[in-house]
Amino acid sequence: MKRVWLVAQREFVAAVMNKGFVIGLLVMPAIIAVLVMVMPRLMSTQGSQIRGEIAVIDATGQVFDGLRAGLTQEAITRRRTEGARRALENAPAPVRTVADESSDAAIERAMGVAPSFTLLQRAATADVQSEKRWLTDTVPQDAPRHLALVVIHPDAITQDAARTEYGGYDIYIPDNTDERVETTIYDAMREALVSARVRAHNMDRAQVEAVMRVRRATSVTVTAGAERRTNVGFNRFLPFIFAGLLVFGIMIGGQTLLTQVIEEKSSRVIEVLLSAVSPLELMAGKILGQMAVSMLVLALYIAMGLLLLTSFAMLGLVDPMLIVYLIVFFLVGYLVFASAFAVVGAAVNEMREAQSLMTPVMLALMAPWFFATPIGRDPDSAFSVAMSLLPPVNTFAMMIRLASTTPPPFWQVGLSLVIGVASAVAAMWFAAKIFKVGLLMHGKPPNIGTLIRWARQA
Amino acid sequence: MEPALVLRDVRKSFGANRAVDGINLAVPRGALYGVIGPNGAGKTTCIRMIMSILFPDSGELSVLGRRSALEAKDRIGYLPEERGVYRKMKVGAFLIYMAQLKGVSRDEAAGRVPRMLDSMNLPGTEGKLCEDLSKGMLQRVQFIAAVIHQPDLVILDEPFSGQDPVSVRLLREHIVAEHRRGATVLLSTHVMANAEEMCQHVVMIHQGRKVLDEPIAGLRRQFDRRTIHFEPLDSGADPSRLRSVSGVERVEATGEGYTVTLAEGTDAAGAVARLAAAVPPARVELARLRLEDVFIRIVSEGAPGSDAARALRAGLQESEGAFA
Repeated sequence: MKRVWLVAQREFVAAVMNKGFVIGLLVMPAIIAVLVMVMPRLMSTQGSQIRGEIAVIDATGQVFDGLRAGLTQEAITRRRTEGARRALENAPAPVRTVADESSDAAIERAMGVAPSFTLLQRAATADVQSEKRWLTDTVPQDAPRHLALVVIHPDAITQDAARTEYGGYDIYIPDNTDERVETTIYDAMREALVSARVRAHNMDRAQVEAVMRVRRATSVTVTAGAERRTNVGFNRFLPFIFAGLLVFGIMIGGQTLLTQVIEEKSSRVIEVLLSAVSPLELMAGKILGQMAVSMLVLALYIAMGLLLLTSFAMLGLVDPMLIVYLIVFFLVGYLVFASAFAVVGAAVNEMREAQSLMTPVMLALMAPWFFATPIGRDPDSAFSVAMSLLPPVNTFAMMIRLASTTPPPFWQVGLSLVIGVASAVAAMWFAAKIFKVGLLMHGKPPNIGTLIRWARQA
Repeated sequence: MEPALVLRDVRKSFGANRAVDGINLAVPRGALYGVIGPNGAGKTTCIRMIMSILFPDSGELSVLGRRSALEAKDRIGYLPEERGVYRKMKVGAFLIYMAQLKGVSRDEAAGRVPRMLDSMNLPGTEGKLCEDLSKGMLQRVQFIAAVIHQPDLVILDEPFSGQDPVSVRLLREHIVAEHRRGATVLLSTHVMANAEEMCQHVVMIHQGRKVLDEPIAGLRRQFDRRTIHFEPLDSGADPSRLRSVSGVERVEATGEGYTVTLAEGTDAAGAVARLAAAVPPARVELARLRLEDVFIRIVSEGAPGSDAARALRAGLQESEGAFA
């Protein structure tokens, strides 16, 4: 046992105390930090103010004034703020609180300064072709740029007798126009057209809007003990996040285990080691050492995730039991897969030869990406239950179910765990046999059939 | 006392190849044994079976009184033929790790490492990465790893391969020191000159079978007393005068002088005196035992000039033979 501990210790230190590990560990958080902190700034600086002229041919003669009012800087800013509020309505409560507290200035900072447009009204009968040429005119450096030509159809606010539909408008823009010009015009045109049409029908705009508006209900999740606001977006991602952490943790330890065993074999250090420890002790030490490495990484990521949630005051969204389950299922899943990695490492002489034996292992590790969506959507379906009991993917499937909106019955969790532990024991037993035979084997790499023969021999 | 090592009719085949074909061996405690034989004779397979790295197809083993080396790991030091280290590990850390695996406490190991590195002519390498050392240096590091826990049984598989003459001498000194400390030492080599000079006892293996198992002293008596190298002071001296000395069976001219073969039962000391009286010598000496000759004589069964014998001789001298 002391030797197992020594081997594990060396594995852990060798894995953790090198530059590659530290860099690898920091890359992910660094990328997240960059995305969270730097990106908005980059985006906003890019939004230098748009200035220029928009020519309008209004065949109806009743839309232009409304459009001009809608394209003033104040109107544009107001629409943006409202849009942002609407978007936030679906966000979790704490995020909304944060957003409400932030001023319009903050929104403006995030979205850039509202553009400044000058509207030029052309005669209702103006020639569209010659106005299009205006768009492509070369403009002197300091003069306002020609941004767009809007042509409002004559039937834009009056219904054709034959059709129930209204007419519309066309937008012409020169090449390389900022897409915000277009979207801003769309928004302002909709406002202006609706107002003009309502006026034409002698209706009250406020009344019409009131009739049209249906508030979106806030769905409430009812549990035995309490009620909380349903959080659709976050809940949909939770299974993915937990399955991802599980696979990620297993990959870290498993991959290092594989490369380490292959290196020890190819550098022949293995024979020296085997004069001091038994193959079983060596394997156990290695698996434990890499498990500690994986746990360290996993713990750091969980801590980081919790920190992130805390800073958004969303900690309540994650059930603490989920993290306990994550650790338990990680340990079980890791032991199963680490045994597989150890078998492959002991069986081959070079990384290159490991590929064919690795394929089934990698497929099993990728399984969660394929079944996370169907299981997350329907956590109690026959498929979900079957997957959560089928080794070696049962740990992933059960983790997805646990993180989903409908947690599985407790007996299924227990059964999945028992199956997981049993398969871990079986996998380690098999791995120990292969380890014993394979470590000193050099030459042609074995196939699965040969591996089974080795296991029988040992 | 029970021998340190016993092999009883041990056999091992790899497919159709019988690597070890029924070997019996008993190494008494405190002995310095050399296992010799050309490459591919079965030495390494034998040693791996002793170490329980391979398991015999049939036969029995006893190591330090146990049924398997696994039960006495901490008391055995092993230098495998195929050496490896952790390339990215520091020399000191590697040696401490190996010592700890063999049951030496961390502090004790940390104290021994610099001392042993110094004595192996590797001072100051403690903090270096293994990959920064030369192959010869690494081999000495591994020798330290094999004996750092002061084992009762030291098994060295080709300890001299790849070493320059200075390191070979250093290694020999250390092996003899281990022997003097009281450890049983078993080493294998295909360069017989090494075994000849330091071992008390040699075991010859050829094609998986033991062909000789004798103390060096006995071998000397058995094989050595009949050949005298004679170099006359005057190179123009008449060799027929040597031939006429009583007890001389045969005289053959060699490069610098003559090889005189005595008749069976002749007293070597008297013959030397008589030869010197017959022709004034520049040099006259009893031929030293050459295991190589013994080996070839045994294996080629009295046809020392045959092609097979020449091929064998070449195999016993190749590569590091040039160094040693």
